[in-house]
Amino acid sequence: MRFWIVSLALFLTLLPGPVLAVTEIEISAPGEQSIPLALTRLIAHEGPQADQFAAEFNEVLNADLDLAGLFHFVDPAAFLSDAQRLGLFSNQVDFSQWRLLGAETLIKGTYTLEGEELKVEARLFDVINRRLLTGRRYVGKVKDVRRMAHAFADQILKELTGEEGPFSARIAYISNQTDNKELWLMDVDGKRPIRLTDHRSIVLNPDFSPRGKEIVFTSYRAGNPDLYRKEIYTGSEAKVSYQQGLNIAGRFAPGEREIALTLSKDGNPEIYLISTSGRISKRITDNWGIDSDPSWSPDGDRIAFISNRQGNPHVFIADVFSRETTRLTRRGNYNATPAWSPKGDRIAFTRQQAGRFDIFTIAADGSDERRLTFGSGNKEHPRWSPDGRFLVYSSDAGGNRAIYVMRADGTGARRLTTLESDCRHPAWSPRW
Amino acid sequence: MKAIQLLKISLAILVLVSGLFGCATTQTAPPVDDQAKISSADMAQESEVMGVQDQPLQSENVPSHEMIAGMERIHFNFDQFTLSAEARQTLGQNAKYLNANGTVQVVIEGHCDDRGSDEYNLALGESRALAAKSYLVSLGISAKRLSVISYGEEKPLDNSTGEAAWAQNRRAEFKAVR
Repeated sequence: MRFWIVSLALFLTLLPGPVLAVTEIEISAPGEQSIPLALTRLIAHEGPQADQFAAEFNEVLNADLDLAGLFHFVDPAAFLSDAQRLGLFSNQVDFSQWRLLGAETLIKGTYTLEGEELKVEARLFDVINRRLLTGRRYVGKVKDVRRMAHAFADQILKELTGEEGPFSARIAYISNQTDNKELWLMDVDGKRPIRLTDHRSIVLNPDFSPRGKEIVFTSYRAGNPDLYRKEIYTGSEAKVSYQQGLNIAGRFAPGEREIALTLSKDGNPEIYLISTSGRISKRITDNWGIDSDPSWSPDGDRIAFISNRQGNPHVFIADVFSRETTRLTRRGNYNATPAWSPKGDRIAFTRQQAGRFDIFTIAADGSDERRLTFGSGNKEHPRWSPDGRFLVYSSDAGGNRAIYVMRADGTGARRLTTLESDCRHPAWSPRW
Repeated sequence: MKAIQLLKISLAILVLVSGLFGCATTQTAPPVDDQAKISSADMAQESEVMGVQDQPLQSENVPSHEMIAGMERIHFNFDQFTLSAEARQTLGQNAKYLNANGTVQVVIEGHCDDRGSDEYNLALGESRALAAKSYLVSLGISAKRLSVISYGEEKPLDNSTGEAAWAQNRRAEFKAVR
């Protein structure tokens, strides 16, 4: 009988640690909580060593997760033997090593290089509960390594917060790198810039269609500020609105079928809605003053815009159906470029005070105004990431105007473009 | 005897158990729950973005209209499109020129300094050009000879910053339509 008891006892201790109390990792907003994360470098599963890809994947993932603001990184110099070990299943990871370093989450991965083809397997583990949280297997070309890392960063945010990250998206912007202002597109970390227009004129103010396949922008190519539409994948381009006077500040409605823009065909700038073929479907504002810079509420029911109808430029909100208009901003004497958060709750805008522009946000009901930027330089053109976590904007703090990104609470600001050219008017694409 | 049998059985169970659950370093028999959380993505399926090829740079701007020697530009205050007394005087001179040169077609360009929203400035630039046009019309110049375009803050005269440069850049210019 004693043997039975002994072997039963052995039996029980050999069972993998029963998950008794599973504590979920809960994060609701950047900065609220910081999780210690050990981010190991990809190791070669089989095939040739290609350290540069492992390093690049690591660097991209590190930057994205750092911007996310949810983590602090365990110093890689302290990593023990498990960082070099191949096993990616949760029963192959030596979690006790990571616990010793204070890590609560762990990223491990492998790559396989076959000619030009690159396979990456990456996994996120919960160190405390010794379990896999999420894993992804990417197959692509060697040049796709950055996109793989961005996609995994998105996946990590989805697993930990329930909402996917915006890192696989792109940022459209205007740069004068070729001496003319043209439309450009880059990754959300500022890398891989690519020029989309060759108008050799003045190109302004891009906006993405809700599915991200098209961009509208204004160009002086034909001698008047007209609105153009461009398909990103085919490169095909068409003039959408070319009324006499201004055809500017085009913004796709959330439903993709209409565009709000500013027209001055009657001698005074007003907000109109047009179809994607340029036909006017509705006039939103009717006022002697300047009305411009429309920005849709995410439900498409309201439009924030700028108007000087009460003297100084302020942000107003118009109901698309009743056209009833209310004033949003009360403070300051020059408020501009409203951008409605995709979450619907807040509106970002710029304010000039003491001769300098800074970025503010305000609740959609006009309460709870907050200033996000401080210090030198004019910060302008704020636009939200599709998940509402980040704001991309332009600033001339470094001399030339450049594109910057920060968290929605104003922390973590960093420059994305070089200072060699003037870059402005960023627009964050929907999820790619 | 019975005890030995029991020992054998329990050893068998032990072997079975360790075979089932493995030890931490086993490279085989992955737990099923891991697999369920792993998805695949083929990065090559995404279409490529069509970029513009780099071409030799030659400035091919929309031909800018020609300055007219007899017509002076006028200037404005910050965020204003009202005409100052000085601007009205200049416009009076410009109207004389237009009366003396009855075939000249004019495009009035409205410009701003680089402070403020780009779109608001495009609107403001247009208001400045329209203010100049209205005044010329009130002086008897046919509206058919006058068109307007706003460049907002896109074409500054002086690229530096500071009140002197800004004041230079807040202007309306009069150019001959070619």
